[in-house]
Amino acid sequence: METLLKLRDVEVRYGDGNGGLVAISGINLDIKRGEVVGIVGKSGSGKTTLLKVIAGLVKPTRGEVVYNGAQNGGGFRGIGMLFQTPLLLPWRTVLRNILLPIELRGEDVDRYVARALELMERMGLKGFENSYPWELSGGMQQRVALCRALIHRPSLLLLDEPFSSLDAITREDMWVLLQEAISYENYTTVLVTHDIREAVLLSDRVVVMSGRPGRIKVEVTIPFRRPRDLGLQYSREFNDYVAKIRELLGD
Amino acid sequence: MAYRARAASSVLILLAICVAWEVAVRLLNIPQFVLPAPSAIASTIARYRDYLLSNLLDTMFASALGLAMAATFSLALSVVLAYSDSIREAVYPILSGFNAIPRAALVPLLALWFGLGMVPRVLTAFLIAFFPVLVPTLTAMVTIEKELWEMLVAFGASKSQVLVKVAIPRATPYFLSSLHMGLTSAIVGSVIAEMVASDRGLGYVILSSTSRLDTPLAFSCLLLLALITFALSKVLSLTERRVARWAYRASI
Repeated sequence: METLLKLRDVEVRYGDGNGGLVAISGINLDIKRGEVVGIVGKSGSGKTTLLKVIAGLVKPTRGEVVYNGAQNGGGFRGIGMLFQTPLLLPWRTVLRNILLPIELRGEDVDRYVARALELMERMGLKGFENSYPWELSGGMQQRVALCRALIHRPSLLLLDEPFSSLDAITREDMWVLLQEAISYENYTTVLVTHDIREAVLLSDRVVVMSGRPGRIKVEVTIPFRRPRDLGLQYSREFNDYVAKIRELLGD
Repeated sequence: MAYRARAASSVLILLAICVAWEVAVRLLNIPQFVLPAPSAIASTIARYRDYLLSNLLDTMFASALGLAMAATFSLALSVVLAYSDSIREAVYPILSGFNAIPRAALVPLLALWFGLGMVPRVLTAFLIAFFPVLVPTLTAMVTIEKELWEMLVAFGASKSQVLVKVAIPRATPYFLSSLHMGLTSAIVGSVIAEMVASDRGLGYVILSSTSRLDTPLAFSCLLLLALITFALSKVLSLTERRVARWAYRASI
């Protein structure tokens, strides 16, 4: 598989001079097209900073980020992002929230309505297109946010603790929906999480970070075929990976 | 039903106050020029109906025009100041400084420059109503949550897109509710200007009637001003709930 994104010796320092805080340092990471990469670490390990660098929201103070999407195949279709909170705009209907990225790209919104409705149906949101976000439950709002992240077929899907504010059962539902969405359209995905089980269940590769400054401690390849069944969580191999990563995270 | 019960109890309380007032004035033999009884105020309103109405309309016209100018200008300025951090940092302190000037003190100057007509009244209403509309509107525009901002940037939004698609809709309910403050301020402004530099409007009527010790007429003006401000405030509330229904989601 070709490499979509290359990070070379990336460092991010907040503030300047000696008082500055080094958030991440010496980061080398390759992300291949179609790969799902999980990033786990404790709070303060710089995993969110790393995701922001990948998203282009934070410029590294050292090192380089090489993005190949523009040259190879398909063209650059931008980034889809999903945060811990749905961040929906309360004055827009669900459908118009989902179409927001299209509007922001200046494309013809009408051409994407059918796709939005199809995504909504896949996410179990059929019939809610004219509802307002605040009329929906938390889990439904997060599904709307996922539709919005996917509407423009992003070349890179970035998830920042996307399910940590949901209850355990809703979270498992979201794992299934997310996996379906990723394999259906083969999204290259980076998932930042502090939930090791989530990382192991969803990722091809788990990047374990250690803190202050944030560095990549080790990468663990998860060999199970995707999409994975929720029942995998109860298998021994799965739990061996979880235990191994937990140990690598230290205490 | 609960609403009706509440409205009915408000009316009852008002009635009780009026009755107590009436009784007190009569029992204590308070002279009319000190405190007129409600019945005296009512008969004054009836007697001077046309005179009061034309002056009321005059005051309302000046206030409405002043408020409309304040609303338009505040909104436009908020957009500019929300768009450019550097302009905001330069201009906002100047505006705050200007806000520190008691606007009533400017009326004689306005009269000097523009005479005794409509202009100083509209301008005073505008000057007093402007700041209470600007501050909440601008604040709502510039306090977009960091995560939302980052998400929009990640989706490739430009600064003007953030402004048009997020900042302005987000500020709409704040802008509309600030118009309540703006409305009362504008009426205060035009009434002050009418007292200082006009021969028309309820402010003028209050000033001239109290100087003749015609206190019932002054009270009639006060009552009319209170009623019309209350009514207009209600109209604004209804508009708010229509235009920015999403902002009142807790009560839907």
